[in-house]
This record gives sequence, structure tokens and C-alpha cells, in this order.
Amino acid sequence: MSTEFTEWLRGRTDEQLRALVTARPELITPVPAHIEGLASRAGTPSAIGRALDRLDRFTLAVLETLTLQPGPVTRTALRSLLSKATAGTAGRKQLDEALGTAVERLRDTGLAFGRDNALRPAPGVAEALDPPAGLGPLAADVFRHHSPEELETLLGDIGAPESPGSPRERLTELLGDPAAVGRLLDEVSPQARAALDELAWGPPSGRLPNARREVRAATAQSPIEELLARGLLGATGEESVALPREVGLFLREGRVHRDLSPAPPELEGATRDQALADRTAAGQAFTLVRTVEELCERWSVDPPGVLRTGGLAIRDLKRTAQLLDLPEWAAGLVVEIAFAAGLIAAGGSVDEEWLPTAAYDGWRVKSADDQWVLLASAWAGMDRVPGLIGERDDRDRPLNALHPDLRRPPAAQVRTQTLSVLASTPLGLAPSAASVLARLAWERPRRRGAYRDRLAEFTLREAEQIGLTGLGVMSDHGRGLVRGDGTAAGLLAPLLPEPVDHVLLQADLTAVAPGPLTSDLGRWIALAADVESKGGATVYRFGEHSIRRALDSGHSADDLLAILERHSTTPVPQPLRYLITDVARRHGRIRVGTASAYVRCDDPSVLDEVIADKRSALLRLRRLAPTVLASKTSRATLLDSLRAMGYAPVAESLEGDLLVSRAESRRTEGPPVARTPGPSGPEPDVAAAAVRAMRAGDEAHRKRRRPSRGQDGQVPRSSSTTTIHALQEAIRQGSRVWIGYLDAQGHATSRILEPARMEGGYLTAYDETRAAVHRFALHRITGIADVS
Amino acid sequence: MNDGPLIVQSDKTLLLEVDHERADECRKAIAPFAELERAPEHVHTYRVTPLALWNARAAGHDAEQVVDALIGFSRYPVPHALLVDVAETMSRYGRLRLEKHPSHGLVLTSTDRAVLEEVLRSKKVQPLLGERIGPDSVAVHPSERGNIKQLLLKLGWPAEDLAGYVDGEHHPVDLDEDGWALRPYQKEAADAFWHGGSGVVVLPCGAGKTIVGAAAIAHAKATTLILVTNTVSAHQWKQELIKRTSLTADEIGEYTGTKKEIRPVTIATYQVMTTRRQGVYRHLELFDARDWGLVIYDEVHLLPAPIFRMTADLQARRRIGLTATLIREDGREGDVFSLIGPKRYDAPWKEMESQGWIAPADCVEVRVTLTDEERLAYAMADSDERYRFCSTTPSKTRVTEALVGRHAGEQVLVIGQYIDQLDELGEHLDAPVIKGETRVKERERLFQAFRDKEIQVLVVSKVANFSIDLPEASIAIQVSGTFGSRQEEAQRLGRVLRPKADGGGARFYSIVSRDTVDQDFAAHRQRFLAEQGYAYRIVDADDVGEENPAR
Repeated sequence: MSTEFTEWLRGRTDEQLRALVTARPELITPVPAHIEGLASRAGTPSAIGRALDRLDRFTLAVLETLTLQPGPVTRTALRSLLSKATAGTAGRKQLDEALGTAVERLRDTGLAFGRDNALRPAPGVAEALDPPAGLGPLAADVFRHHSPEELETLLGDIGAPESPGSPRERLTELLGDPAAVGRLLDEVSPQARAALDELAWGPPSGRLPNARREVRAATAQSPIEELLARGLLGATGEESVALPREVGLFLREGRVHRDLSPAPPELEGATRDQALADRTAAGQAFTLVRTVEELCERWSVDPPGVLRTGGLAIRDLKRTAQLLDLPEWAAGLVVEIAFAAGLIAAGGSVDEEWLPTAAYDGWRVKSADDQWVLLASAWAGMDRVPGLIGERDDRDRPLNALHPDLRRPPAAQVRTQTLSVLASTPLGLAPSAASVLARLAWERPRRRGAYRDRLAEFTLREAEQIGLTGLGVMSDHGRGLVRGDGTAAGLLAPLLPEPVDHVLLQADLTAVAPGPLTSDLGRWIALAADVESKGGATVYRFGEHSIRRALDSGHSADDLLAILERHSTTPVPQPLRYLITDVARRHGRIRVGTASAYVRCDDPSVLDEVIADKRSALLRLRRLAPTVLASKTSRATLLDSLRAMGYAPVAESLEGDLLVSRAESRRTEGPPVARTPGPSGPEPDVAAAAVRAMRAGDEAHRKRRRPSRGQDGQVPRSSSTTTIHALQEAIRQGSRVWIGYLDAQGHATSRILEPARMEGGYLTAYDETRAAVHRFALHRITGIADVS
Repeated sequence: MNDGPLIVQSDKTLLLEVDHERADECRKAIAPFAELERAPEHVHTYRVTPLALWNARAAGHDAEQVVDALIGFSRYPVPHALLVDVAETMSRYGRLRLEKHPSHGLVLTSTDRAVLEEVLRSKKVQPLLGERIGPDSVAVHPSERGNIKQLLLKLGWPAEDLAGYVDGEHHPVDLDEDGWALRPYQKEAADAFWHGGSGVVVLPCGAGKTIVGAAAIAHAKATTLILVTNTVSAHQWKQELIKRTSLTADEIGEYTGTKKEIRPVTIATYQVMTTRRQGVYRHLELFDARDWGLVIYDEVHLLPAPIFRMTADLQARRRIGLTATLIREDGREGDVFSLIGPKRYDAPWKEMESQGWIAPADCVEVRVTLTDEERLAYAMADSDERYRFCSTTPSKTRVTEALVGRHAGEQVLVIGQYIDQLDELGEHLDAPVIKGETRVKERERLFQAFRDKEIQVLVVSKVANFSIDLPEASIAIQVSGTFGSRQEEAQRLGRVLRPKADGGGARFYSIVSRDTVDQDFAAHRQRFLAEQGYAYRIVDADDVGEENPAR
């Protein structure tokens, strides 16, 4: 464990530490007890991996160059190394500036440390970056598994000078000497040279059957054998060969990277009128809001079922797409956004169904701009990928909308990044997809991949559909949303249609609302007429059915006409007036009610008697006709009560059940909407508090620190971070360690190992006690000590 | 925020506020690529369909113009998805072209190889094609010119037909503008057709489509085949052509059930052309009888399916379709587009009316209340008998009599669907009845008598739906119809829309039984009228007597 790094961290100002934990929030979850804890956590492979993932291509290259140097490097030296790679792309001044920023950033994030005259990578970085810049393994590693005899022969063949040390050390030393490598290269045939050049910038290893064959420089059959016989290539397995890093660096002529640009690639694309793009995006944004509303309204009446495996059936998605008049992918997107925004969720009493939530009712009454911001931010933050709907997963099962399998952890991150690239474009530029992908690749080179490119492409397509971009140009309100400063709604609002409080009535029995209606009028007219077409305006159609619906809900014909007259800018057309009165004329002519039992008697005077009896008040009897009474009480109660009153009634069987109409729309409780943390990391006060706590803990820790010692003959117990650091150190130096290990049966054992590599929670090492290469689970290693 | 007259809906309908000051300008801008769907009094609805967009492309408009028009006139932001869709759809037209190749004859060429490959992979297209000539072109069997256009349209890649036309046998024809002149829109329509090569002209009933046909013949100056719906209509075409052009009676042949003349200008009925004996179309030779330079299709929206198939073989001849509406109740608008041609001219009814070319009409729906016995009988009738029952109820006869009485002295047409009902009406009104079995001679005699005002009331069945010319009918009373047919409503209204000598308005009554399926179907037809912009009123049968006829 590098104490220098710990000391350097300790020497950072509070402000710098705050910057560190803000940039790498995973370091303070949970908050380490002291600075040493912080240092060791910063050195764990996963923490370093995350920090490296955030680096752009240039900064990463700077760090790679740094790790390739044997010791501390001055900034000037670093610059001259880099300038070879950037020669074609940037001038000296530009490189200087970029390097300054990159070094500062590396120090801020604790990936490199030391002053400008002695920069070093933080502990763990070199291992995490291995192999850096596409170079092969070090010669020491390549030839690790060659026997001393083999190496002796090889050294003899290439005429290595006699010197003390093991054959491996001698070979390593030789390959580290450029002059020697140059000499060896001159010996080989042009074909062999060409193969080497291929390996120098390409992948530094290759497959070769029977790689461990015996070859001598004099009897080499093929170009590859020539190289193997000279140690310019080494077998790393039964069927693989690799180019030693030293040779690779020589072939690259001192450059670590082939061509490197200190500035990100430019975004390219068509230029459009920003105002037009804003309007187009706003139009799309408004459409989205309306579509989501329509979806929820439809589903509240006729909800699709939840599949047994979760999610929405393909058939239901198709139906929804048809209903919303959208292509399937867009319908899937709308459904997913509504879900992410917490507007729909699985619920229902008997079978699970997709229903709007109570949150939908709250959302519905907001203004369109607020509604959109809610939807768009839910989309930006969700970790689900609607673009994958309809495809098949690894096990060839279809991926359904709303299915849990649609989650992809990097989705939100890629989306956020893509949006911030879009937001960084100059006004009016519609960047091409390719240039956005190129920029993303530059910004996050370690996260590049076909998969992430797809996610980014989905993001571009969806941003357009949602109305973040218009004509490919990031809109003003879109920028507001990415900034997250709450200005998005304000920027969007003036572009959206303003609510109107009137409609135009026409003789074909339609009403056109030339904009979104004020909520009262909107609700009323939605009751009295059916929606025929939606968009900026809404077209409603009056029909017998819809008028009847309005009458059913308690309006009278005169009410309806009065409301129409009040809200219509044009006179109410005669056919509409006629329709309303005509429907009203027939409305309510037949009356229907519920009763649970009835009393029938051919003699009306007996029924008069029953009603007049005070005891019958509890039975809630109602006279429907002279000879019929209806009651709300059950037949059995009615029978008992009438008997108690002194009558002798008999029960009558009744065919058919009374239908109880279903409630019109239903709601369910959704899970609380998960708020994904923004890209900015922890809140400033959290970071500050974490730093304060660590400082305090550190002081206490240093006061009581004493060297811990294990009992004789037992491996001392050590913390897992210490173990990992010690193992990393041992791998780097090729030294042996003594570990305590719990075997598969749980017995404590101790072994002497020569660690080779560590990955995925396992250590691969040569076990001297058992004379074989084994894999050891890191979590079962109880402690570690030097063999001495 | 714009203050445009147009609102673009997400379902690709366009709402145009007609009272807006820029409404006229906007109408002109969007008319090429959007079909007028409804034209009620305040807000007109246009629909942007792929066919409409391709029609616009065929007329030389590009996506940019369409997008500009939408954005320029729209009151609210236009959803981006719609603009993309418009551009995408329009770009599909013309990627494939049918052209004439000097050595290979008819070839299908493409500016986009991927599209060509896509359509070549279609199993249905393959048999129509010959050898591959180059990477971007493939030979087409000349006889399949129509079929391939139909198929490509179905595949969503409509081909632009640039293969040209044969001139046909020359025959001198001129318009004989003596005492009359082509109306400006008739001239525009004929010119638009001629420049486009082939296509459809949409004009309201009564706007003089026959004359547009005559002008087209005069342009072509070639032998012409005219396909019409029935014999009466064939006679009228003949008379009209003699009157309007330099053609003489000897030059015009009739090819109908009774006569089989083939002359430089031949008029045939759809019925004859589609007569089959032993599964063979007997009269196909007519198409090859002469080297026709022009084929005219009257009432394209009624074109029967076999005629479409025959038309597929006539793609090298110039074709003009005449119709009042492109709406086909069988949804074969795409076939009209690919086989006859794109829409070349269109004029909204209301505008023609305001310019005085057709008579303004007043539509009145009269609601008849069934008597209690009738209601009971209706409730008990079988469901397939119900419509007939309620549309022929005796109450209607009484109301019809009352209406005819009210309009005594005016020329009245009573139109109906059911023969026994019409016979009964004829008896009550003491008026002649024209139905399917009435002989052609007798029909023409009655029509002439009606024109000469010797007869004032004429009862006609649906045989008179098409192409009869009754210039002086100012009142039409519809007692029953073919369910809710919009097309029929348009035709019947057309009966009374022809300009009257006195310049007076026309009135169109529909008698409807209240609270029955008749009312539901009537609602459908009435909606069509309202959408065409005719104000309609609904009155109760009891009020008919009191109403002021002068209104």
C-alpha cells in the first residue's frame, strides 16, 4: 500500500478533497473512517475502473503514458512524449493547455499524484489500465512461464552478453534496450518485420497452434518462428503468442498512441433555423403530452393485462400503437415514459392490469409545459431501454414493453451523456448521428462499444420523438432540461398553444376547439361529445350517444344548449339544437333502478296497509305500482319482517341477476418514482460533510495506530484492501507471498504463492506448497504477509 | 406564435379556419397535397394522405413546398414526426420510373438502387419483369405497364410513368363555341389534364364535366373511346358532343346493349364492357377495334373492377377520368391513382356555387313520426326487413304528398329506392314513374316532357341516379335510399344543382322515419351534406304545412 499516495491525499486541501469525492461519489458511499481508508478505497479496482470510465480519450492517453514510465515523470517529459502522438493534430500551445487540464483533472480525481516535476499514477491505476494503449504484456510476463533452459538457449541464439541474474532477467533487460531490439529486428526477414508492424498497432497478441514449439534462430521455418526464436514474440499459452511491451514501444518509435487529438472531434451536420427547430420540437412535445394523456385515458377504461412474467403483451402493444396512431417503437416509448413518470403501474384487484396511478390525476391538471418537463425528465433518468422492445434477449425470449428485463444499467448514463453532447452544440446545428457517436467515443473511450452506440442512437431518435430536439437541432427548452435548472417549462410554455375558452360549432355536428380548452370546458365537452381528432386543436363530434351520456350525468337539454351558446363563438346550428332536444325527448322515458326484493299483492289495499305500518319504514319500501312494492332489503329480511308484522308472505323465485355497472375509470397505487441522481454527483453539502468526517476520523486513527502483528506460525489477518494492495504489489514485482486461505471445506490453510494475475474476484497464482497454478477466491484470503 | 389559419392535427388532418383573413391564400397552398374531406361552415378539414402527397409530387410539387406551407400557415408548432413523414412519403414517389428505352422498349429505372432491389425481390413483381438491363434498370413487359404500376403503389413505391403515349389515329375535332364558351375552370381542367398526360378531373355534379370531356377530345384530335355508366348517359354524351364540337352524328358511335357501332368517337357503357358469356368478356375487342388516342372514363368513382383490369392494358393511351368525388366506397382510390392517373384538377363545390356555376341548395330533413301501429310493426319486423319497412312507411307517402302540394308549380323529382313504394307514390301523386324496366324510349320521352314542363312531378328509382340531365328540377324529394351511401347522396343532390334558368335556389328534401334505422342511415348521409358545406335543417313532418315556402 502506497503510503506516499496516502500522504499526498492527506496533504490535499479540504476543497480539493471535496472535489475528489464529488467527482468520484462512490468513494464516500459509505464514508470511509479516515484518509487511509479513503486512499485504499480509491485504489480498489472497481473504484479505479469507474474513475477511468469517466475520462475522455486525451486524459486517458495522458494517464496511460504516465503508467508506462518506470518512475515519476516531469510534466515537460510527459509533454514531449505526447507531442509525438499529437504531432498531426495540434500545435504546441494547444497541447500544453490540454495537458495542463488533463493533469489537473487526473490529480483532482486522485488518479495521478505528485507535483508537476514528479507525476505518478495512483496505486492500482497501472493494474487497472493493463494493458495500456493496446500494448502487449511486459517481457517479464510474456516469458514468465518459459523454463530457464529454454531462455538460456534463446539468449545464446541472439548472442546476449553474459551478465549476472536469471535468464529471464537478462532477457527482459535486453529487450528493454532499444539498440539491442534494433539489432534483432535487422536480423529478421521482411515478412517477419511486416508481421511485427501489424502487431505493433493492432492487437498485440495472436493465435498460433502449438505456440510452445521449440525453435532456434538458425532453423526457423516461418517468419513467426524467426520472431519466436529471437524473443521478439513470446508464447503466452499453448496457442497464443504476444508481443512484449518493450518491443511494441520500440516499434511504435517512442509514441504511445498513434494519433491523439487533445480536442474532441467537431460535431458536424446541417444548420437550421433555431426558432423553427424550437417550434417543431415544441409541436412534438405537445403531441407527446397529448399522447400520454390519451394512453392513460384509454387504459383507465380498458386496461391491458400484466403478463405473468411482467410487462405488456405484444398484442396489447400493437393495439395501443394502433389506438395512438403511432409506429410500434414510438408507442412502446410512450408507454415506457408514462411508466417511468409513475403515471401507470401494475395494479388491480383480481388479475393484474396496467392502470393509471393516482399520480396521473395530479399530472393531468398541470399545464402542458410542466407535464412535458415531468415526462421528459422521467425519460432522461430512466434506466430502461424502450428501443429494445420487440427484440429478443440472449435466451431468445421476446423483450416486452414494461417488462423488468428492459432495464439496462448504463442506459441513463448514456442518455445523459448523449443529451449533454446535444446541448453543447451551437445554436441551429443538427449534428449527424455519426458525429455525435464519434464525440461520445472521444469523451468516454473506455465505454465505447456497439452496444453503447445503439443506446446513443436510441437516445437521438427518442429525443426527436419526445420533442427535445426538432429537425435534429437541440431546442431551447431541451437545453433547459439538460441544464436541469428548472427553466425548461418556462422556455417551452410560450411555444405551446394557449388554452382557449370557446369552440366553433358546425352543422355537421362537430365542435372545433382551436387550441387546448380550459379545464372546465374541456371536461364538459368531453362528456357531451366524442373526440374525433387531436393535435393543436381538438375536433369533437356530437352524437346521440354522447348527448345521452351528458344527459345521464345530470345535465338537462336546456343546460347543454345554454353551455353551448355561452362557449360558442358561432350560433348553435339548427341540426345540433334539434339533436339535443330529440335525444332529450327520449331520454329517461324508461326508468331503471335496483331493488333487492319486491312485494306483490293483487289487492292494493293490503299494500296500503303495509306502507301505512310504521314498522315497515325500516324496510325502505317504494310503491312502483298499485300492486307492487320494491324494497332495498333482502328477500329473507323482507319475509321475516312481514311475518313479524302479522302477514303470511311467501317467497317468489326470480330469474336473472341485477347488473351493477362498473366504475368508469380505475386507479392503482404505483411505486414511488425513483429519482436517479443527476450526472453532477453528490450534493455539495454531502461532499463537504464527508470530507469533514474523514478528516476528523483520520486524526483519531493516526494517534492510535500501531503495527499489527500476527501470532507466530500464523498468517496475520489483514483487511481486504490491504490484501489486494499487497497482491497487486506482488504481481508487479513478481515476488512471493504467504497467505492464509480458507479452503472449500472452510479449513484454514496457509500457502506460499507466486501471484500471476487478479481478476473478477479471483487470484491466479502458482502455489508452491502444491506446485501447481490455482485460482483463489479473494474473499477467502484471510491475511497476507511477506515470505521473509 | 404564428397567427395562421391552419391547425395541423397529429392524425394528419389539417383544420382550416375559413373566416381567417389568410384562409384563401392558405387553401391555395395546401390544396395540391391535401384532400378536402369536410367543408362545413367554419372550419374545413383537409387530410394529408400518401395518395394526396403523391398527387402533389405528380403535379410537380416537392416536399419542401409542402413543409413550408404547413409551417408557414400553421397556428401552432407542427409536430416533427408529421413533417418527417411527409418528406419521407413524398420521396417515395418517382424513385422508380417507367421509361421508354430505345432498344429494350419499356423499362423500369430507379435513382435508388436499394429500392429497385427491394421491389425486385417481391414475388408478385417478378413475373412482370423481363431481363435486367443494368444495375438501375430492368425491362418490363409492355403489356404489364398497368399491373406493375398497381403493384408498386401497393408496395409503397409508386412509379412515375414517363413512358409516354401513342398518338392514336388522328381525327380532326374542334370545339364549336357558338353561343357558349368554355368556363374558365373547364378550360383549366382540360389543360391540366393535357399537360399531365393522364389523370382525373374532379368537378361537382352540374359543373359540366361532359364539356371538359369534349375539350379533352379537342386537345387530342384523335379517335376517342368514352366509357359511361348507362345508356341514357350515352345518349346525352352524344347529343352534347354534337352540340359542343365539330363532330357530326355520323362520327359518333354508340356501343350499348342494343347498338354496336364503332365510329371515330365511340361511347360504350360499363355494362356492355363487363358482360360475360361463358366466363369470357365478349366485347373486349372494342379496345382494339381502333387505334384510340384517348379514353374517357365518366364517373370514375363507379368504375367497376373488370374495367380496372381492362384499363391496366390501356396504359399507352391517354386516359381522362371525370368524377364528382374521388371517394370510393370500396376504397379503391389507389387503383384510380395508378391506372387512370393522378388527380389533375379539383374544385370545391362551395366555390363553384359562389361563382354561380351551380345552384345553391337548401337541404331539409323531414322527420316523420311513425304511428303507434307502425311502431309496433317495426319493432316486430325481422332485422333485415326493418330498413325496408321504415323507409317505405305509409306516413312518408302522406308527407310527400304534402310537400309536392306545397311546391305546386315547380319541377319536382321524387327519388326512391323501392319500386312498390314508388309505384304507390306515382299513383297518389298522379305522376309517371321511371324505373329499371321502363324502356329507354319511354324514359327519354318522359325526361323531355319534364324538361318542357309538360310534366311537373316525376318519380324516379335509382336508375336515374346517374347522368341524366334535368336542368329544371328545383325540388328533389328523397323518400328512401341505399342505406347510408354518401356517393348516392352526392349524385342525388347533383340532380338539383344544375343552374336554373331563373337563377333560383334548389331544395333537397329527405324524408326520414324518426327513431328507426332510417334515421341512423340518414344521419350518415346528412353528415356528408353538412361536410360538403350545405346548411341543412331538420323539421318535423307536422311543421311542413306551416313552413313558409319562400324561405
